[in-house]
Amino acid sequence: MRVLVAVPALNEAAAIGQVLSSLAAVHPIGDVVIVDDGSRDNTAAIARAAGAHVVSHAINLGVGAAMGTAFKYAVRNGYDAVIQFDGDGQHRTEHIGELIAALDGADIVIGSRFAVGGTYKSSAARRSVQRLIAGVTSLFARTRLTDATSGFRIAGPRALAVFAEHYPVEWLGDTVESIVLATRQNLTVREIPVDMNERAGGVPSQSVFKATLYTARIMFILGLATIRTVPPQVRSANRRQKAEAAA
Amino acid sequence: MTPQILAIVMAVVLLVAVIVLLRSYVLPEKYAVLWLIAAVAAIVLSAWPGLLEGVSRFFGIASAINLLFVGAFFVMFLLLMQITLELARTRDELRRAVQRLALDIEKATPNDND
Repeated sequence: MRVLVAVPALNEAAAIGQVLSSLAAVHPIGDVVIVDDGSRDNTAAIARAAGAHVVSHAINLGVGAAMGTAFKYAVRNGYDAVIQFDGDGQHRTEHIGELIAALDGADIVIGSRFAVGGTYKSSAARRSVQRLIAGVTSLFARTRLTDATSGFRIAGPRALAVFAEHYPVEWLGDTVESIVLATRQNLTVREIPVDMNERAGGVPSQSVFKATLYTARIMFILGLATIRTVPPQVRSANRRQKAEAAA
Repeated sequence: MTPQILAIVMAVVLLVAVIVLLRSYVLPEKYAVLWLIAAVAAIVLSAWPGLLEGVSRFFGIASAINLLFVGAFFVMFLLLMQITLELARTRDELRRAVQRLALDIEKATPNDND
């Protein structure tokens, strides 16, 4: 199984060199693609010098679009699975093998910071926000989740086929809405516990107001995700597939 | 059909239209928020005229209908401003993207001097 490690990156010149060298130790660097999402610094140049493939957006489109590009890249280059790996050094490479192994029997595996076995430290406020989000997502996705906003995840062949056609972009859709979208397409979502390095900047829970706004947005997206129709690109891709199978 | 029933029906149709457009990926989420608020406010106000009367009296406005017009105008203003700003931002991004791509294409295309 060919696995692509996709690193969406925005102005990560400081961290990207380190991230890539630790990745190269566990995964062939030729199977790593940096999606440079309109960086103003020389993130792309550093990544290229390290031997990774680099796809550059002419302007900043957001993480959702960057991963969308990564999924399209994966399909174009014959990959079977895609791992999302952050370019800021938060994710740990030792879990890559575990994610790949866990793909046996699931379409998407999420590396959860809060599952049993994780040692991730965060403030009580942030944990309760995350727990609420994971709880509501679990309800809508009809699957047991403890960390719905983790970007550290692997998408298997069936998920890759859907996401290459349509990946949610705005409003944190790339983390939370993608899960509901996947389960509504009858894909299975599992979790494994992972450790992550401490985040320097911090998730948008810096003030109570921002945290409430963040949670409200996620609830809105989740509620919407449950009543959504099949995305038009996915629908036409499915139709095309059926036509090919019939022919 | 009384004017009130007509108003409620129209407001509900507006809400349904927004939801249908939202779920079929035609209307993006960030625009939908204002439209949803406007549609729900329209339903509430047309179903409960007493609310409008009460609020007008609180502000010392003699005619409740004036408050309705002012409020509706304000909402329209917000919606138009949102679209205008978004359009401006998009044009700016488009220009920068075209400029960047033009430079990349120039670099990648050999001219007769090379």
